[in-house]
Amino acid sequence: MRKLYGTALTAVMASAALLTAGCGQGLLGGGDDAGSGEKKDQPIMLGMLIPQSGSEAAIGPYMSNAAQMAVDEINAKGGVLGRKLELKTADDACDPQTAAAGANKLVTAGVDVSVGGYCSGATLPTLPIFDKAGVPMIIPVANSQELVDQKLKNVFLINGTGGQQAAAAAAWMTKEGAAKVALMHDNTSYSKDLAVRTQKLLDEPGGPETAILEAVTPKESDYSANINNVLAKKPDYVYWTGYFQEAGLLARQFRQAGYKGKIMVGDGSVSPKLIEIAGAEAAAGVYATMTQTPETLQGAETWIADYKKKFGSDPGPYSNQSYDAVRLAAEAITKAGGTDGQKIVAALEAIDGFPMFSGPLKFTPEHTLSTGGFQILVVKDGAFALQDALQ
Amino acid sequence: MSQLVWNGLFVGSFYALVALGYSMVYGIIKLLNFAHGDLYMLGAFIGFAVLGAAGGVSAAMALPLLLLVLVLTMGVTGLAGVVLERVAYRRLRGAPRLSLLITAVGASFALEYGMRAAAGADPRVYPVRLGGTSLEVLGARVTLQQLALVAVAVLLMIGLNLLVTRSREGRAMRAVALDPRAAALMGIDVDAVISRTFFLGSALAGAAGVMAGAHYGKIDFMMGFLIGLKAFTAAVIGGIGNIPGTMLGGLLLGLLESFGTFWLGGEWRDVFAFGVLILFLTVRPTGLLGERVTERV
Repeated sequence: MRKLYGTALTAVMASAALLTAGCGQGLLGGGDDAGSGEKKDQPIMLGMLIPQSGSEAAIGPYMSNAAQMAVDEINAKGGVLGRKLELKTADDACDPQTAAAGANKLVTAGVDVSVGGYCSGATLPTLPIFDKAGVPMIIPVANSQELVDQKLKNVFLINGTGGQQAAAAAAWMTKEGAAKVALMHDNTSYSKDLAVRTQKLLDEPGGPETAILEAVTPKESDYSANINNVLAKKPDYVYWTGYFQEAGLLARQFRQAGYKGKIMVGDGSVSPKLIEIAGAEAAAGVYATMTQTPETLQGAETWIADYKKKFGSDPGPYSNQSYDAVRLAAEAITKAGGTDGQKIVAALEAIDGFPMFSGPLKFTPEHTLSTGGFQILVVKDGAFALQDALQ
Repeated sequence: MSQLVWNGLFVGSFYALVALGYSMVYGIIKLLNFAHGDLYMLGAFIGFAVLGAAGGVSAAMALPLLLLVLVLTMGVTGLAGVVLERVAYRRLRGAPRLSLLITAVGASFALEYGMRAAAGADPRVYPVRLGGTSLEVLGARVTLQQLALVAVAVLLMIGLNLLVTRSREGRAMRAVALDPRAAALMGIDVDAVISRTFFLGSALAGAAGVMAGAHYGKIDFMMGFLIGLKAFTAAVIGGIGNIPGTMLGGLLLGLLESFGTFWLGGEWRDVFAFGVLILFLTVRPTGLLGERVTERV
């Protein structure tokens, strides 16, 4: 009995190995011009890894809806190179393991371009998976410097990077005349990177100094112990670089603890939910470093109206970047004349002045935006509004 | 210093409330009910739904209304716990311990993702919030609402302790915990006692859920996960199966976290708190008040 079981297991494993090998070849073949010629009548597949479960699940629909909207618009105009676009989403749960599994799933499904990536920590392990499969990545949101530091040719970031955000944060706090800044992060790749980068900039002479670098455990409810630590250093500015759920709790608990100074949050925290969780009173006056959002976009009224009509809700953070990622992918495939990964990468590198919400696009040699486009928002009358464009 | 103690005690009283359910269930059927943290989440959402149905209320009415919601939610969450036991655990009572453990993990996931399907992944915010003016007590900043929450938690724990040590039902529970077969021979309806235990434990978790929702404001479908682990830890520190020990364990874990953050910074808090836990358990494996149980043949 035991032996039989063992044989069966070996057989299953062998066939699984065959299957994966077969898929790998199929993909490589698909990258060739001849291959794409064969599937002319099939849709071009765009893969999108987004958080659909876990702590950041709230962001997923904002991204996939906007991407779907771009896909539908492009298809309504006849698609790309006569082929329809098709969006395939997979869950990354903002978790490295889930993300790697999701990326493998997308690669196996035969996606031609990846247009997803929200949490940097979860996006990082997917880079080599897409790279090996020859799939170009246009990352709409994830923006940790670590992604750039991999120096992979197929990776493009269309959100400002951590370094650019840290520079914006430091510039704003200097402009505000802050003296002692408390930096708080949640120990995830993106959040810690931003906090540490900001600290380095603040350490330079002139401008404010760093009072404390404090890490909190995300997904908890009570941060009074951390707040106690921070307040003991008597800062006049607090910069939180994590995500919005904790941001809301922190803003509220800081005010309850009697903190009178200013609070600023990073782009992961810009969400109407922050204001709801903190309550209008505690959220009022909270600053944020953020790339363009639907609310601060100039001339996006019709786009927002279209989105609302289609999905019955307002677009949220990163809807615009996700929408742009799909448009950019379509543009690059058109320029490349097919779905060959290398040609798409070359087309992306050659793009100059492609209109996006963040302005005309041109990639740096590192495949990041030449200008981060970070601006300062402030919570006013229960919503994020533009405070300073930092031009 | 007094601020640290207060922060620790406040967080600890939540841990203690949730830990009690863990401890009672373990005491009576030796099951680690991993879905217990999710009953806390369920309680928070039931409270949210009831408050939503009640509509807008004036600030003056907030506290009495919350108390009413608290009682209602405790009842409903308690029943949910009974159903959980009936559906997921009772049939497996004679099965190997591992099967039961996995069912508990399964029940936890089912509750979490069932709630996500029902209420969505977005965090929800309680319509009635306990904000509150703070006052200085011995150098610590304390809000009246925090005091009220701790008072409710303490009352619930005292009530539970009286119920278990003084009432007929409590005696039946203790009897079943000691030896279910002998208890059955003495004419105790063991199934009913176990159901009652689940009801009590789940009701306390539900109460903690509503209190967390009203105080912190934010609830989401994963909120029970971390506190479930913490509560389990607290129960083990205190001596799982022992009710006063579990309460102490909760408070102790809260204090450890508070002081760990202060001494070593937020990054090292869990390393500190759980390092102490390991050291403590190597010295005293049965926990603070747990008794060493001699194996009987």
